[in-house]
Amino acid sequence: MGKSSTQRQDALDLKPAILELRHIGKAYSSAGDGRQVLTDLSYTLRAGEYVAIMGESGVGKSTLLNLIAGLDTPDTGEILIDNITLSSLDDDAATRLRRREFGFIFQAFHVLPHLTLSQNIALPLLLNDLPVEGAEHMLDSVGLAGRGHHFPRHLSGGELQRIAIARALVHRPKLILADEPTGNLDPDTAHDILMLMRREIKANSASGIIVTHSHAAAATADCVLVLTKDGLHPFVAEKAADLPKQIK
Amino acid sequence: MRAVKRNAGYFACSCKQGGRHAGFKWLSGTAFLVAALFLAFFTAGYVLAERPQLSPVVRNVPLVFPRDFGAHPGFRNEWWYVTGWLETPEKEPLGFQITFFRVATEHDRANPSRFAPRDLIIAHAALSDPAAGKLLHDQKSARDGFGLAYTTEGNTNVKLDDWFMLREENGRYQTRIKADNFQLDFSLTPAQSPMLQDLNGFSRKGPQPEQASYYYSEPHLRVSGKVTRDGEEIAVKGIAWLDHEWSTAYLDPKAVGWDWVGANLDDGSALMAFQIRGKDGSKVWAYAGIREPSGQFTRFEPDQVSFEPQRTWHSTRTNTTYPVQIQIQTSTTVWVLTPLMDDQELDSRQSTGAVYWEGAVTVTRDGKPAGRGYLELTGYVEPLSL
Amino acid sequence: MRWRNKAMLARWLLSGEWQAHKVQSGVAVLAIAIGVALGFAIHLINTAAFNEFSAAAHSLSGESDLEVRGPQATIDESIYPLLAEHEDVELANPVLELDVALPTHSKERKDATLKILGLDIFRASVMAPDLIGIPAEDKLFDVLADDAIFLSPAAMEWLGVKQGDILNLSVGTQTVALRVAGGLRRARAGQRIGVMDIATAQWRFHRLGQLSRVELKLLPGTDKAAFKAELEQELEPQSQYLVAEPTTRETRVANMSRAYRVNLNVLAMVALFTGTFLVFSTQALSIVRRRHQFALLRVLGFTRKQMLGQVLWEGAILGFVGSVLGLALGYATATSALHYFGGDLGGGFFPGIKPVMHFDPAAAIVFFILGVGITLLGSAAPAWEAARALPAPALKSGSEDTALARLENPWPGLLFLASGILFTRLPPIFDLPIFGYLAVAQLLTGGIILMPPLSALIFTAVFRMVQHASHARPVLTTALARLANAPNQAAIALGGILASFTLMVAMAIMVTSFRVSVDDWLRHILPADLYVETAASGDTRGLIPDEMKALAETPGLVRVDFFRSSKLMLDPSRPNITLIARPIDISEPGNTLPLTGESIPVAQLPKGAIPIWVSEPMVDLYGYTPGKHVTLPIAMPARTFIVAGVWRDYGRQFGAIQMRLADYQALTDDLLVNDAALWLEQGVAPEQVIESMRQLPFGNALEFSDPGQIRALSLNIFDRSFAVTYLLEGVAIIIGLLGVAASFSAQALARIKEFGMLRHVGMTRRQILGMLAIEGGLLTALGVLLGFVLGGCISLILVFIVNPQSFHWTMQLSLPWRSLLSVALMLMFLAAFTAVASGRHAVSGNAVRAVREDW
Repeated sequence: MGKSSTQRQDALDLKPAILELRHIGKAYSSAGDGRQVLTDLSYTLRAGEYVAIMGESGVGKSTLLNLIAGLDTPDTGEILIDNITLSSLDDDAATRLRRREFGFIFQAFHVLPHLTLSQNIALPLLLNDLPVEGAEHMLDSVGLAGRGHHFPRHLSGGELQRIAIARALVHRPKLILADEPTGNLDPDTAHDILMLMRREIKANSASGIIVTHSHAAAATADCVLVLTKDGLHPFVAEKAADLPKQIK
Repeated sequence: MRAVKRNAGYFACSCKQGGRHAGFKWLSGTAFLVAALFLAFFTAGYVLAERPQLSPVVRNVPLVFPRDFGAHPGFRNEWWYVTGWLETPEKEPLGFQITFFRVATEHDRANPSRFAPRDLIIAHAALSDPAAGKLLHDQKSARDGFGLAYTTEGNTNVKLDDWFMLREENGRYQTRIKADNFQLDFSLTPAQSPMLQDLNGFSRKGPQPEQASYYYSEPHLRVSGKVTRDGEEIAVKGIAWLDHEWSTAYLDPKAVGWDWVGANLDDGSALMAFQIRGKDGSKVWAYAGIREPSGQFTRFEPDQVSFEPQRTWHSTRTNTTYPVQIQIQTSTTVWVLTPLMDDQELDSRQSTGAVYWEGAVTVTRDGKPAGRGYLELTGYVEPLSL
Repeated sequence: MRWRNKAMLARWLLSGEWQAHKVQSGVAVLAIAIGVALGFAIHLINTAAFNEFSAAAHSLSGESDLEVRGPQATIDESIYPLLAEHEDVELANPVLELDVALPTHSKERKDATLKILGLDIFRASVMAPDLIGIPAEDKLFDVLADDAIFLSPAAMEWLGVKQGDILNLSVGTQTVALRVAGGLRRARAGQRIGVMDIATAQWRFHRLGQLSRVELKLLPGTDKAAFKAELEQELEPQSQYLVAEPTTRETRVANMSRAYRVNLNVLAMVALFTGTFLVFSTQALSIVRRRHQFALLRVLGFTRKQMLGQVLWEGAILGFVGSVLGLALGYATATSALHYFGGDLGGGFFPGIKPVMHFDPAAAIVFFILGVGITLLGSAAPAWEAARALPAPALKSGSEDTALARLENPWPGLLFLASGILFTRLPPIFDLPIFGYLAVAQLLTGGIILMPPLSALIFTAVFRMVQHASHARPVLTTALARLANAPNQAAIALGGILASFTLMVAMAIMVTSFRVSVDDWLRHILPADLYVETAASGDTRGLIPDEMKALAETPGLVRVDFFRSSKLMLDPSRPNITLIARPIDISEPGNTLPLTGESIPVAQLPKGAIPIWVSEPMVDLYGYTPGKHVTLPIAMPARTFIVAGVWRDYGRQFGAIQMRLADYQALTDDLLVNDAALWLEQGVAPEQVIESMRQLPFGNALEFSDPGQIRALSLNIFDRSFAVTYLLEGVAIIIGLLGVAASFSAQALARIKEFGMLRHVGMTRRQILGMLAIEGGLLTALGVLLGFVLGGCISLILVFIVNPQSFHWTMQLSLPWRSLLSVALMLMFLAAFTAVASGRHAVSGNAVRAVREDW
C-alpha cells in the first residue's frame, strides 16, 4: 500500500487541491455533555482523486461529509472548496456552491417518488440553469436507456442507485460525495454500482469521496483512509490480499 | 273664443299623437285643458265620489264689470289671453303672447284638503323675434291653493308661482312672466272700453246652442315695459289685445282645428274672426266682429265669413304644413294676414304634446295696410300612422 | 432560460405532489372556495338588496337638494307655502308618505302595508318624474282624482289588482276603496308603492293639514350649506322642523340595516377563517410528509428562498384555484338566491324588493385577494419551517414531529389570548363592535395555536395515568403514546375542526341566550289575556275615543289598557324611534315594563316632571341615561321629560320610549289609540269576548291575538332571521370535518411504515384500526373540550359585547347543553369513523413492503 500511495502522490502533486480541511473540530452538545466527534482534522483532496473513508460507527464519517457539503458547520478550523472558505459563505452562497460543485449519492437513494427517472436526473441541471437534455445521456451511461419516463416505484434498489449516480454526475460537479452507497444493496448489485460509480467519476474527471463500512467498496477507490479519533490515516491492511486486485 | 280654438287644436294633437308621447302628455296643464272639454263624455264608469255641478253658458246674461273682469269658478274653463306687437328702441318688431287658464276639475268639492285640486291654473308665454327666427316659449301649471296659484273673483288677479297678471283699479294690467329663457314685465293700458263679442258677450262656438262661451276683448291695449333675454334688458312699447273668455260647454265633435285672428287696426278699429274646421278642412262654424273707434259693432254670421289660405309654410320639425298667409272675407271686405316671420310654430311635444302655430301678423284691408294682429292656427299637425 | 428552468422545476414538484395527494389538495381548494363563495355571495346579495333598497328609498325623494320634515311622522302643511315662496327656492314639493294597512282578512299579507305617496303632480313631475301615475288614455284627470290610486307593477302583482279594479285599504277601523287608475312612469323592479293625489291622500287617510315632508330644489348657484343653516335658524323657534339633505335619508336607510349586514358578513368570514386553518394543516402536514424530499432538494442545491418560494407558490396556486372557484360559486349562489328568495337574508330589512345582481369587480378582487391571502397566510408558517429546516438531520427518518417542534411554543398563543381579552375592553367604532370581532378572532387563533402544547400536556398526563393503571391494553397505550409523543401533527389536524366547533358553540350559546331572553321578554310584555289591534300595522291604524269606549264596555273584562304608538325622529340621520303611550303604574313601572338596571323611584322624581322610560338603544344612541332631562318634540312648545328608567326591547333596534297615555294625551291632540290589551274576568273565555266585540259596528276591522300566538309568531320570525346563521355554521362544521378527514387520511398514508412494523410485531389489522379510532376519538374529544371552553368565552363576547354594541340590547346567558353535547358526540364519532376509514387503505398494504418504504 505504502509504495503505490507514494507513486500516486507523486503523480498527482501538480494537480490543484479541490478540498482542503484545516484543523477541523466538531462536537455535538446533545443532552448537555459535549461529545467531541472530530478533533483537529486536516486533509487535502486533489482534483481527480477518488478516496474511500472507513471507520467505526459513530466516529464521525457522516458528520465529516456533512461538513464538507456545507450542510453543517465545524466548531473550529476551515474547509476550503476550490480555494473558497466555506465559512465565509452564507447559506445561499453555500447552497449555490453545493449545487454547482457537488454530487451526492446516499445509502437510501433519495430519489423523488413523484418525478420520472429523467426528471429526477435533471434536477441538478434545472438548479444550475443547464439544458435538461443532458439527463438522457446520463440515463444511457448508467444503463437505464429508454426508461426515462418511468417512475421510481417500479425500480429495484440497484436501479434506484444508478439513478442517484446519474443525478450526482449529470451537472459535471467537481466532487462526488457518497455515503454508504451500497449499504442497502446485495453484494452483486453493490459491485456493479461501485464499478459504475468509479467509471463515471473518472469519466467525468471528478473527484470523489466514498464513506463506507465495506472493504470491498473501499477497495474501488484510488486510496483508502481511515477516520479515527486522531484524524485521517492511510489504511494499512493486515493482508495485502484483502485488497481486491482487479481495481489496480 | 280664442282658447276654444286652441283647445280643439290640442285635442287633435292629443288624439293623433297620444300614443307616441303618452309618457309626458299628462304632465302639462294643456293636456288637462283638452281633457277638461271632454270630461263629460268619459266620467261614466266607476265613480266613488260626488262630481261637482258646473254652470252652463246661457244666452241673455249680461256681462257686468268690473265683476266679470274677475274669475268665474262656476264654469269649467276660463282664460285671460294677451297677444301683441312690441317695438324695441331700435324699432325692431317683436311679437308676444301671455295666457293664464283656469280649469275646474271633477275633484269632489267635499274634499276639505287645502290641496284639493278644484281648479288648475295653467299659463303660457311666447316671444316671437324675427331676428331669432323662431319662437321662445314656456309654460307652467299648478293647482289653485296656498296662495301660490289662484284666480280671484271681482277683478283680474291671476297668479301662478312667480307669474302673474293683475288689473289695477284704473283698468291698467300689470303682468310679469319669468320664463325659462326670457322675462316679460309689462303694463297694459286700455284705450277703449271692453269689446263684447258676438251677442253682447255670448259667443257661439258651434251649431248647437250650448256650444258657447262668455267672451269679451280689450283691444288697443298700450304696452310699455321690458323684455329680458340672455340677461339683457330692453325697454319696449307696443300694442296688445286681451281676450277673457269662460265657458263650460265642449266643442262640436266634428271639430279638428281652428283659425283665429285678433287685430288692432291703425284707424282704431278692432277685428276678430275665427273659423272652426271639420275633418276635411270644411267650415263647421265661423264668426267675425268689427268694432269701429266710434263704438259701432258689426257682427258677421258664419255664412258671411270665409278663410282662404294664400301661402303655406312647412315645418320640418313636426312635418306639418300651416297656411301662414290667409285671406279672410267678411261680407264684402277682404283681409290678408301676413306673418311677421314664418316659423312661429309652438312645438312642445317633449313637454305638453301640443303643436300649433301662433304668431304676429300684419293685416291689409282690401289690399291696403290696415293694422297688426295675431293669428292662431291649430289642428294642422299630420295624423301619425299607428 | 433561467425562469423557464425554474418554472419547470416548480411545475414538476407541484404536479407530483398534487397527483399523489389529490384529496387533500382538493379539500383545501374546496375550503377556500366555499369560504370565498359564502363571503362573496353574502356580500353580493346584501349589496344588491341594500343598493336596491336605498335606490328605492332615493327614488321616493327624487332630485331634491334639501328636505324639511319633522320629528314626528308628519308636519303641518302651513310650512309649505312659506318654503315654496322662500328666497332661493326654485321648487317646493310637498309629500305625504304613508304606510297604509291592507284589510286584515287577507291572511297571506298579514301585517303588510303598502307605501303610498300623496303627491302634487304639478310639483312632483319636476322633482321626481318617475313617480307620476300613468292614467288611461281617456282619463287624464285621474292623476287628480279623489278616488284613484296608481300602483307600481310589483304592487299590482302583490295585491292582485289591475287597472280599473278597486283596491280596499284600512284606515283605523274603516275601509277606504280606491280605483286603480294605472301604473307609474317608472318604478323599480319589485318596489311596491302606490301614488295618489296629495289632497286625496290627506282626505282619505285622515291626514288633513299634514305632510310628511317638503322637498326643496334650490335655484342654481345657491350655497346649499348656507341656505340650510339659514333655514334651520328661521325654523328653529318652531322646533318642530328638521332640515336634512336627501343623502341623510340614505344614511338612515344604511344605518337601519348596517349592524345586520356587518354581522352577516362577519359570519361569512367564519367559513373563510376555518378555511385558513385547513390550509394551514394541509400545508403543514404536506411539509412534514415531504420533509425528506425538501431536505434532499436543499442538499442538491435549493436555496432557502427557493424553498420558501416553492411552498408559498403551492399555497398561492391552491388559493388561486380556490378563490376563482369560490367567486364563480358565490356569484352563482347569489344570483340564484336573489332569483328565488329576493334580497332578504332573514333580517327583514329588505322586504318586497327585487334587487338586480350586478357583478361587483371591486368586491370580487377583494375576495380574491382575501382568498389567496389567507391561503398564503396558512402556508406561511409551514413554508418558513420548510426553509429553516436543517437538511442533514432531516434526511434521516423518524424526525417528522421535530419539524413541528416550534408549534409547542405556547407564547404566541398566550399573546393572542391576552390581546383578545384586552380587545374586549375597547369601545365600539362607528357603532360597530370591531374590537369585539377582533377579540373573537384573537381568542380563536390563540386557542388553536395553543392546541399542540396543550394536547402534549394533556395526553402525556393521560398516558402516564393509563400506563400505571392498565397493562393489557396495547391498543389504547399505543394510541396514547403517539398522541403524547407526537402531538403536533395530531393537533394540526384539529385546527379546522376546533375553529368550526368553537364558533358553533359560541353562536349556539349566543342564539340560545338571545332566544331565551326574547321568550322571557315576550312573557313579560304580554301579561294580558287578549290583544286587540286595528288594521294590523302601518300609519293608518287607530281607534277613535268612541270605539275605545265601546271596547272597554264589552262584558267580561276586568281591565283594558290602550296603547298609542307613533314614530318620532330625533336625528335625521338615524332611523325613527317609536313612542309608545300606555297606562304605566308610576310607583311600580316594572309591572308593565321589562326594566333593566336602575330606575328612579317615584319619590325621587322631580315634582311636575313627566317621566319617560327608554329602551336600551336610547341610552347608547342618544345618551338618554336615567335621571336625564330630555326634550321630546311631541307638543308645541316642546316639553321636557325625565328619563325614569331603562327597559329591554328586542322589538325595536333603533330605540323606543314609553310614557303614560294620560301624559301623552294631555300634551298632544292625538286621541287615537292603536292597540288594546284585555284582561278577562275569571271564567270568561277569550272566544266570548271576541264574539261580542265582533258584534260592534267596527268589529270586522279588529284583529285579536292571544299572547301565545304573538309569542309563537315572534319566535318564528326570530328563528327565520337566524336561519342563515345556522346554514353558515353547518358549512363551517362540514369544512372542519373535511379537514379532519383529509389530514387523518394523509397521516395514515404517511404512517404506512409504522403500521407495517406494528403488523410485523403482531398487531392485528383490527387492533391498528382500533388504535386509529381511539386516536381520532381522543383528539376530537380534546378538540371538543377546548372548543367548549373557547366557544364559551367567545359566546360571552358575542352576548355581552358584540350584541349590545351592534343592536344595543342586552340578554341573559343560557347554555344549550343538550344540543351542544349531541353535536360534540356526533363530531367525535365522525372523527373516529373518518380516522378508521382513512386508515383502512394504509393497513391493507403489504406489511413487509411497507417497512422498506422510505418515503
